[in-house]
Amino acid sequence: MKQYLFLFLLISIILISLPVSAQKEKPKTHTISGRVTDSQNGESLIGATIYVSEMKTGAVSDIYGNYSVTLPVGQYTVVISYIGYSTVQKTITLDKDVTLKVELSVRQENLKEVEISSERNNKNVLRPEMSTFKMDIKTIETIPALFGEVDIIKAIQLLPGVQSVSEGSSGFSVRGGAPDQNLILLDGANVYNASHMLGFFSVFNNDAIKDVKLYKGDIPPAYGGRLSSVLDIHMEEGNSKKLEINGGIGLISSRLTIEAPILKDRCSFIVSGRRTYADLYLPLSSNKALQNNKLYFYDLNAKINYKFGDKDQIFLSGYFGRDVFKNQFAGMQWGNGTGTLRWNHLFTKKLFGNFSAVYSDYRYRIDGGSGSESDVTAFQWNASLKDIGVKGDFSYFANTKNTIKFGVSATYHIIDPGVAKGTGSSVFNEISVQHNYALETGLYAGNEERLGDYFTLKYGLRFSMFQNVGPDTVFQYDANYNTSGNTAYNSGTFYHTYYGLEPRVGLLFSVNDKSSVKASYSRTNQYMQLAQNSTVGTPLDIWFPASPNVKPQISDQVALGYFRNFRRNTIETSCEVYYKWMQHVIDFKDYAVLLLNDTLEGQLRIGKAWSYGAEFLVRLNEKKLNGWVSYTYSRVFRQVAEINNGNFYPAPYDKPHNVAIVLNYRISKRFLVSANWVYSTGNPLTFPIGRAEIGGKIFPIYSDRNAYRYQAYHRLDLSMTFYSKQKPGRKFAWDLNASIYNVYNRHNTWSIEFVQDKVNPNVTSAERVYLFGIIPSVTFNFHFNNE
Amino acid sequence: MNKRFLYILVLAAAAASCTEKIDLKLDSTYTRLVVDGHITSDSMAHFISLTKTSDYFSNQPSPRVTNATLSLSDGTNTFPLTETVPGQSGIYSTDPKFAGIIGKTYTLNISLPEVIAGTTEYTASSELIGVTKLDSIQAVFRSDIGKDGIWQVKVFAQDPPGSRNYYMMNLYRNHKLWSDTITKVGITDNQFFAGNYIPGADAFYINNSNKWETLYPGDTVTLELSAVTKEYYDFIGQVQFAGISIPFFSGPPANVVGNISNEGVGFFAAYSSSFASCIVK
Repeated sequence: MKQYLFLFLLISIILISLPVSAQKEKPKTHTISGRVTDSQNGESLIGATIYVSEMKTGAVSDIYGNYSVTLPVGQYTVVISYIGYSTVQKTITLDKDVTLKVELSVRQENLKEVEISSERNNKNVLRPEMSTFKMDIKTIETIPALFGEVDIIKAIQLLPGVQSVSEGSSGFSVRGGAPDQNLILLDGANVYNASHMLGFFSVFNNDAIKDVKLYKGDIPPAYGGRLSSVLDIHMEEGNSKKLEINGGIGLISSRLTIEAPILKDRCSFIVSGRRTYADLYLPLSSNKALQNNKLYFYDLNAKINYKFGDKDQIFLSGYFGRDVFKNQFAGMQWGNGTGTLRWNHLFTKKLFGNFSAVYSDYRYRIDGGSGSESDVTAFQWNASLKDIGVKGDFSYFANTKNTIKFGVSATYHIIDPGVAKGTGSSVFNEISVQHNYALETGLYAGNEERLGDYFTLKYGLRFSMFQNVGPDTVFQYDANYNTSGNTAYNSGTFYHTYYGLEPRVGLLFSVNDKSSVKASYSRTNQYMQLAQNSTVGTPLDIWFPASPNVKPQISDQVALGYFRNFRRNTIETSCEVYYKWMQHVIDFKDYAVLLLNDTLEGQLRIGKAWSYGAEFLVRLNEKKLNGWVSYTYSRVFRQVAEINNGNFYPAPYDKPHNVAIVLNYRISKRFLVSANWVYSTGNPLTFPIGRAEIGGKIFPIYSDRNAYRYQAYHRLDLSMTFYSKQKPGRKFAWDLNASIYNVYNRHNTWSIEFVQDKVNPNVTSAERVYLFGIIPSVTFNFHFNNE
Repeated sequence: MNKRFLYILVLAAAAASCTEKIDLKLDSTYTRLVVDGHITSDSMAHFISLTKTSDYFSNQPSPRVTNATLSLSDGTNTFPLTETVPGQSGIYSTDPKFAGIIGKTYTLNISLPEVIAGTTEYTASSELIGVTKLDSIQAVFRSDIGKDGIWQVKVFAQDPPGSRNYYMMNLYRNHKLWSDTITKVGITDNQFFAGNYIPGADAFYINNSNKWETLYPGDTVTLELSAVTKEYYDFIGQVQFAGISIPFFSGPPANVVGNISNEGVGFFAAYSSSFASCIVK
C-alpha cells in the first residue's frame, strides 16, 4: 500500500503548506460565502461569477451554486453575474464573515432598464480553464434538431474538437479519441450507453437537464477513468418556489415534466418522462409483417432535494430508460439506469464537502425465435454492466490566492458479458461468459493558485488504482493470440492491480481583462473499455476491464490557447492547439468475435495513437444574435503491430477539416430563427482495389486500412420558433418550433456497399447508403407556471 | 446466431436509409491467384477452378488460369487432376472414381505455367472431417412470415458431443442444386447446441415471393449436411458478407482469409456429407 501512503503525503503537503505560506502575507481576513440561485425557480446556478472589483479577483459557484471568497478586511463591490441573467452588484463592508445569498433573474431582452447591467462577464478569459465548453439547456434548445428532438449530444457534436462518429449517431470523438473514451456523467453517475434508437437520439431528456459541460482536455483531477473527455451533465433540482409543468408534443415523442416545492425553499422535486410513438403508426402499415412490430423508447428522470438549514442539502436523483424493439423473429431491449444520492455539506465558510453514492447500470436482452412454443431455436440472451460507487469531494477556499480541491472515490464494477440460453423447447444450451469484477479507486488533490496579477497556476494530481477481483479465470495467450493456459482465482481475491499517477497542470497568463494565454498538460488513465469495432456502435456493448493481458490506456495531452474578448465581452474568441499521445490503445483483429467470447482478450490488438489539431472559435452573445462559428483542423493516427502490416493508419475518426456554424437570431420577442451548417472531411475508409470470385460471388481485395475517404459531409438545418405573448402574471406559455433537417437534401454517405449485379453477375458497382434526406418537423412546447 | 439477431438492427436501419449508385475511382493492385474447389468423401469427379483477380470494376468474367499442373496428396498417395477442356476451361478435375477418406489431410499442389504474384507454386491443405448422420428433413410453410409466406426446411440430426463442430448446408430442389451460389449456402457451428439432438431446426428459409426459387407441392427437396473445418466455415461467412458494410455491426473491412499459400486467394476444402430428402406437401 505504498502508493496510498504517497498520495496521502502529497495531499497533506498541499493542505498544510498553502495556508501557512498565506498566513505570512495578510494577518486579518474574512470570508464572503453563500449560494447563487435563480430567482424564479430556486435552481442553483452553476458557474456563476462572483467578482470583487477592488481586488480584481473572485470566485465561481460550484455545482450546488455555493461559493466562497476570502478577503482582507475592507469595503468591497461584489458583482455577481451569470450568462443570460441580470447582473447584481452589492457593496459589502467586510469586518466579519458574511453570508451573501444571491438570487439572479433571467435577463429580459425586451426591458430597457436592465440593459445597462447586462454586460457580459469575461470568465472565459480570466479563468485558468481551457479546452472546455459549457452550454445551458436554453442554448441547446434553439439548435435545429433531427425530427425536432432537442438533443444534448447532437449539440455537443457541433463544438470544435468534437466529431460525430457517423450521421445520426450519439457516439462522439473528442480530439481524436474513441467514443468509449468519453466519461459521460449524469449527476455524477456514469452513463455507459448514451444512445436511444441506435444513436439517433440520446438518452438525455432536455426538460430534465440543467446544464452541460464538456472537458476536451485540461481535465480537472476530480475526474478520472476515461482518456479523452468528460461530459458532465446535471439534472434540474426541481422548482423550489412554485409548481411548474413543462411539456412538448413532437412528431416522434412527447414529454412531460412536473416540478414543485414540497416545502417552499427547502424541499422540491422534479419528475420528467418521455416516450416515442413512432411505432403507433405501424399498425396502419400495409405490410402485414410490420403491423405487429414494436419500436419505441422511454425515459424517466426524477430528482428530489432537501435543505437542512443553510449547511446541508441532500439530493436523490435517478434516470431510467429503455429501448424496445420487437418483430416476428426477435425482440431486443436495452437501456441505462442510474441513481445518485448526494449530501452537500458546508463544514465551514471555507470548506465545502460533497458525499455521494452512485449506482449505474446498462443492460440488454435479446429474445430470439419466432415466438411459437415449438421453436427449437428460441433463445434469450442477457448482458449487463453495473457500477456501485462512493465519492467524497472537498473544496477548500483557503484564501484569495488558493483554492484547493481534493477527494476520494471508489467504484466496484460488475460485468456480465453475456449469458445466452434456449427457451421453451429450444435445443440451445446455456452459454455463459465469465463475469468480471473490478475495483477502481481514485484519490486526488489540486490547487488553483494566483501568482501576482498576471498568472494563475493550477496543479493537481490524481492517483488511480484498478484491481481485478476474483472469481475469474485469466487466459494466457501465445504470440499468435491462441490460449496457452489459464489461471483461476477464487472469489474475493484481488488478483491483479494497476495504478497510475495522473498529473494535471494549467497556467493562465492574463494579458489584460480582455485577453489571456493558457497552457495545460494532463495525463489520464483508462481502465475500462468497450469491445466494439463497428463504426457506429450497437446496443450490444461489452465493456471489459484492464487485466493481466490488457494494460491501461494512457493519454498525455498538451494544449496551448489564446483567448480574446471583443465588444464588452459579447464576442468571445479563442484559438487552441493540442497534441495528444495515447498508449495501449485498443483495436481489434480482422473478423473479431466480440460477443459471447470467453477469450475476448485474444481478439484485441494493442498499439499506440496520436492526435493533434487546432481549434478556432468565435462565440457570439449579442443581444439578438447568439451562437458560434468554429473551424477545427485535427488529425488522429493509430499504429498497431498486427494491423495494416504495422504501418500507421488514420483512425476511424480522422476527419481533418471541420466547420460548424451555429447561430440563432431573435427577430422579435416572439420570433426566433436558428440555423446551423456543418462541414467535415469524409470518414476514412478501406476500399476495394481488386476482386476475386468464389462460388459465384465476387468479393473485394482491399486497400491499406483507411486509405480512402468518403465524400465530405455537410448539412444545413433551419428552425423557427414562435413564442406566445409574454405578460407578467400569465400562467400559461407556449412555443411552436418548426425545423428542417438537411435543408438542401444532401445525400451524406452513411456507408458504401459493393454489390454484384443480379442480372449480369460479372458487373460490380458501388452503392452509397444515406440515412436522412430533407426532414421537416414540428414540435409544440408548453409551459405552465403557478405564479 | 450472432448474425441472425444482428439482422434485426439492419432491418431497423433499413427502414430509414436509402441507397443510390455512385461512381468511384478505385486504384489497382497486383494480380493474385484465386483457387476455388473442394473434394468430398463421395466417389465422384471433384473440381478445382483457377482464376485470377482483376480490377474491382473490370466487369468481365474472371480470367481463367489454364494449363496448370494440379495434384492432390493424402501424405502417401498422389492423385493428378486434369483440366476439363485442356488449355481453356481453367477447371481441373479428379478421376471420376476419386473419394476422400475421413480423417486424412489432403494437400493440393498447384504448378502454374505463368508467374502470378511472384511465384508459380501454390499449395493448400484441408482435413477431411466425418459428419454426423442426417436423420430426416421437413419442409414447412409459414404463411404468417413475410409478404407471401416462407418455406422453412427443418433438420433432424444428432450433434456429436465432445467438440466444436462446424456445418455447411446445401439444398437441392428436384436434384438440382438450389444453393447454387456461396451466398445461399447455410453455415452454423454447434456453439449453442453442442452434443444435443436437433429436433427440427431451421436450416433454410425460402421466400415464397420469388416464384423461381420457391418450393411447390410434389417437389423433392434434398439437404446436404457437411462437416467442415473451422477455417472453411469462417471463410464462407467472410465471403458471404464481403463488400457489405452495415455500420452497426461491420468491423473495418478486411481481406477474406483463405488457405492458399503465397498470397493466393480462395479455399481448397475437404469435407464429408450426409443427405436426407423429403417430398413437399
